[in-house]
Amino acid sequence: MTAQLRSELRKMRTTRTNVGLLLGLVALVLFGVIAGSLGGEADLSLPENQREVIGNGAFAAVFAALIGLMAMTSEFRHGTIRATFVFTPDRVRVIAAKVLASVLVGIGFGAVGASIGLGTGTLMIRLRGYDVLFDAADVRRLVLGTIVMSALWAACGVGLGAVVRNQVVAIVALFAWVFVVEILLFQYLPGVARYAPGAAGTALTGDTVGSSSVHLLSAPVGGVVLAAYAAAFVLAGTVLIRRRDVT
Amino acid sequence: MASLAPAQDRRAQTLHLDRPRRGQEVVAAEHLSKRFGGVVAVDDLTFRLEAGTVTGFLGPNGAGKTTTLRMLLGLVRPTAGQALLFGSRYCEATAPRVGAVLEAADFHPGRTGREHLMTLALAAGVPARRVDEVLEVVELGSAGRRRVGGYSLGMRQRLGLAAALLRGPELLILDEPANGLDPEGVHWLRTFLRDFARAGKTVLVSSHVLAEVAQTVDRVVIIDRGRLVTIAGLDELTARMRGAVRVRAPSVRALVPALAAAGLEATVLDGDELVVPGASPDRVGEIALAAGVALRELVEESSTLEKVFLELTSGGRP
Repeated sequence: MTAQLRSELRKMRTTRTNVGLLLGLVALVLFGVIAGSLGGEADLSLPENQREVIGNGAFAAVFAALIGLMAMTSEFRHGTIRATFVFTPDRVRVIAAKVLASVLVGIGFGAVGASIGLGTGTLMIRLRGYDVLFDAADVRRLVLGTIVMSALWAACGVGLGAVVRNQVVAIVALFAWVFVVEILLFQYLPGVARYAPGAAGTALTGDTVGSSSVHLLSAPVGGVVLAAYAAAFVLAGTVLIRRRDVT
Repeated sequence: MASLAPAQDRRAQTLHLDRPRRGQEVVAAEHLSKRFGGVVAVDDLTFRLEAGTVTGFLGPNGAGKTTTLRMLLGLVRPTAGQALLFGSRYCEATAPRVGAVLEAADFHPGRTGREHLMTLALAAGVPARRVDEVLEVVELGSAGRRRVGGYSLGMRQRLGLAAALLRGPELLILDEPANGLDPEGVHWLRTFLRDFARAGKTVLVSSHVLAEVAQTVDRVVIIDRGRLVTIAGLDELTARMRGAVRVRAPSVRALVPALAAAGLEATVLDGDELVVPGASPDRVGEIALAAGVALRELVEESSTLEKVFLELTSGGRP
């Protein structure tokens, strides 16, 4: 298992994809923080608006999901899955290693995103002349929550990738869910939307209202719900990968 | 020159002890069948390979070769029958004894050749030193540091072979390895496979062109439309490669009974022409003289292995 994990981590750092994703994360968090704090409507005296600026690090979760998704689908896209399974016929071990490697990288992405969001966010709030209304407990919850959310989304990404296999379809499905379906759910079925993976993850960071007026789950419940999604995706992916032919 | 076997890989050494002796069964396909939806790709295929042999796995494109090889390697699940390597289904225990090259394109273009091998070596617990060894064996030493995206097809084939050699396998399974190789590369591969088999190891190499492997293999397994056509030694195949003698004579039909008496079967083609397969011109000439038939023409027509192959498979059908 350690050997397979080392192999998967090596795969992740020997292509430019994941470096690109890290740079993309940094750029997006910076953009979110700067745009959010300079926007004319942003009244940074309100704690929820401060949270929104500082909480931009939560973008890390989407990038972590992409890490996991690419770990699985790029092997199918480039055909390396054949060599991978010839070297390691135990497909469950391969998936487990991919989940573990993606979770580890997801934790890193979560930490990077949270730190940059927190650091530049508080800086921008102070530069705008406001007091930062965020105490140590808030910070702890935000950083830990972002990290756990990113780790779980990374696992979801591996599972989704294993179910879908086609890289483009998987990426489109992920983005469609995060940026379209969940937003529509919030609009029309807010009671259900609280239990969606994105909302459950946001709840983990200590956010209580998210970007809408719907009350989110408590952080622990959000964590459990998101973990259940991750487990379900990974399980479904494992069952399918075990059963399907690699042609 | 780097060795073909890992130098001090402990696992390889233990494997060395139970390496099958020449003549022992290494591959067994037993009533192997695979159906994809309504399409039968492989149909009740049975064959066995013994240690120390190089077997050509031949058939026209779409005959089911690739599917069969993938069933041997556990990538595709048979609809019926079973594929055994070293007496068991492809699994964690047999994997280190097997090396495979399946497709020349199976690499991430952004990863270097050496890093591709490293990802596999780490999974297999093979030391990094071995990666450099196999790169030398396939003559990709310095190119290993470049991204695969810039490799020629021939270099990719070699990189695939390097991956197959990482664990010091006793059995090599190669799917159309000569595709994209230049004549020099084909020669190199041929020499390599011969040396590999000489060390008592086993090779199964597929091709849709017999000529490509004729100089390398001892035996052929020929399939067509998913079914076994024949399993034969190359010598048996060569024996079928008998030429034919074409005869033209004004009264050519008078020659038929004389030839039949000598045990030769003749086919009359035209009014004045017939063909005698498997005969020599000398012999036909003598028979004609004895029968008092004047000849207008006596020509030997040679056959090739490729013709034999085409006749055996659908390529020879009208």
